[in-house]
Amino acid sequence: MRRPYVGAIALIILLAACAHDSRGSRVVGEPPVTPGAPAPAATEPGPAAESPVAPQPAASAPVTGPEGPAANVSAPAAGPTAPVASSTSSPSRPETPKSRASNQAAVPKSAPVSPVPATAATAAAAALPPSKAATPPPLDLKGLEQRLRDTRAIGLFTKLSLKNQVDDLLAQFKAFHQGQSGVTLGQLRQKYELLLMKVVTLLQDGDPALASAVSSSREAIWAVLTNPQKFAAIGYST
Amino acid sequence: MPARSILGLCGLTLLGLTGPVLAQAPSTGADLKATIALNGFPCDQVVDSKRNADSDYTATCKDGNRYHVYVDATGRVVVKKL
Repeated sequence: MRRPYVGAIALIILLAACAHDSRGSRVVGEPPVTPGAPAPAATEPGPAAESPVAPQPAASAPVTGPEGPAANVSAPAAGPTAPVASSTSSPSRPETPKSRASNQAAVPKSAPVSPVPATAATAAAAALPPSKAATPPPLDLKGLEQRLRDTRAIGLFTKLSLKNQVDDLLAQFKAFHQGQSGVTLGQLRQKYELLLMKVVTLLQDGDPALASAVSSSREAIWAVLTNPQKFAAIGYST
Repeated sequence: MPARSILGLCGLTLLGLTGPVLAQAPSTGADLKATIALNGFPCDQVVDSKRNADSDYTATCKDGNRYHVYVDATGRVVVKKL
């Protein structure tokens, strides 16, 4: 009489052991970040927060011919995970470091970036002056970097390849800020979007939370890269 | 209930629990495939990989392409088509 009970208990335990969280089954069709939803990671800035306003005041700049490819590429790079308004504006103009510097001087004043969802943002904007409501949450670059180092979703070779490409891009940004690069900001944006898409693609299967966090931080990271002071503060050296 | 059965049960349970943990780490083939793709070469699937040395592999893709994947002295991952 005890044997059937023992068998049943064994089956229950085995079933419970098999009922784990299957990581591979939820990736397809799941957008890492929806434009209106906050990021899962509490330390990352929300995507919707920064989407309405691009880090560069490119809306006033005319779109010229040579930057056509950059403008075309940035839109698909945004894809389903990126804010719509953010990627269409900044890469579409040829910008020299000098003109960019003058533009960036106006960015903090004219770019109200809000970390809260739309409804809450409107309420907050009504309650506060625009300059007070435009305080984004701090970008946890170190935390993101550590999470990328620690994730098991990608292998060592892949991580090293990504690091090489990140270093290459940072070197190009450094040259851009020093005025030693012939690369325009639009081209840098294109490369940045491409690299971010690679990272998110590699992460989304094995570590969707981190992929979402990276995707959510897209504009915040871009704001750091394009601001000479913030870029110098991250301490990148070749 | 014999102790042997209990031990067997515990072993099977642990076996079931370790599956997802082990599955999170990408295999060498998946790592090489992603690395090859990141460096701009086509590779749909790595069907064979041979370790030549530390951080030095020769990968064979399903489409027949073979690549030498290694880390050079400067710390860069290099992918060379063979």
